[in-house]
Amino acid sequence: MKNRLHVLRAEHRWTQAELAEHLGVSRQTINAIETEKYEPSLSLAFKMAKLFGMSIEEIFQADDNR
Amino acid sequence: MVHTQTPKAKPDRMFFIASAIFVLMFLTARLVLKEIELPMFVKIIITILAVGSFAYFLIQYARGVKMLDELERKIQLEALTFAFPLTMVLLMTLGLLELFIPLSKEDWSYRHVWAFLPVFYYAGLAIARKKYT
Repeated sequence: MKNRLHVLRAEHRWTQAELAEHLGVSRQTINAIETEKYEPSLSLAFKMAKLFGMSIEEIFQADDNR
Repeated sequence: MVHTQTPKAKPDRMFFIASAIFVLMFLTARLVLKEIELPMFVKIIITILAVGSFAYFLIQYARGVKMLDELERKIQLEALTFAFPLTMVLLMTLGLLELFIPLSKEDWSYRHVWAFLPVFYYAGLAIARKKYT
């Protein structure tokens, strides 16, 4: 699954640690999501959507190749 | 167990303390039970204390896991998923070998197998961490 988390975080001028604190997860989790090594749970995806004021689909896109 | 970088330092410290207490209690109990002649009820009390320290360790581990974030929980699960079957394989291998090779109790026997579980767990933890970093 592809995501725009890195771009959105950069737009807000947040570090990974700052975003992690906003979402109540570890910096490693943010890094793993940004590098697409880990797909977040639905509840975390909702938290991200709420934080950025977007829908989940605007942040995450299904990878059709999978 | 380990540690997100978010403010979760306290559970880690408690986990470390519980681990240290367990290891200390277990080694002391093993030494005392093996080397010192004591009345049976004292030996039973020492055994219960050692087991109690392990129970405390497990409680701290469970508390620690509850406080981890979702990725760290997944890593913990993958580490255990790696360690448990590997320990079973070791146990079965020893069981089969013991059918035709007399294994020394002091070197290789079922009583030592449990000690491999944490070794495999940390190996699994390293593999899982590498996967997500």
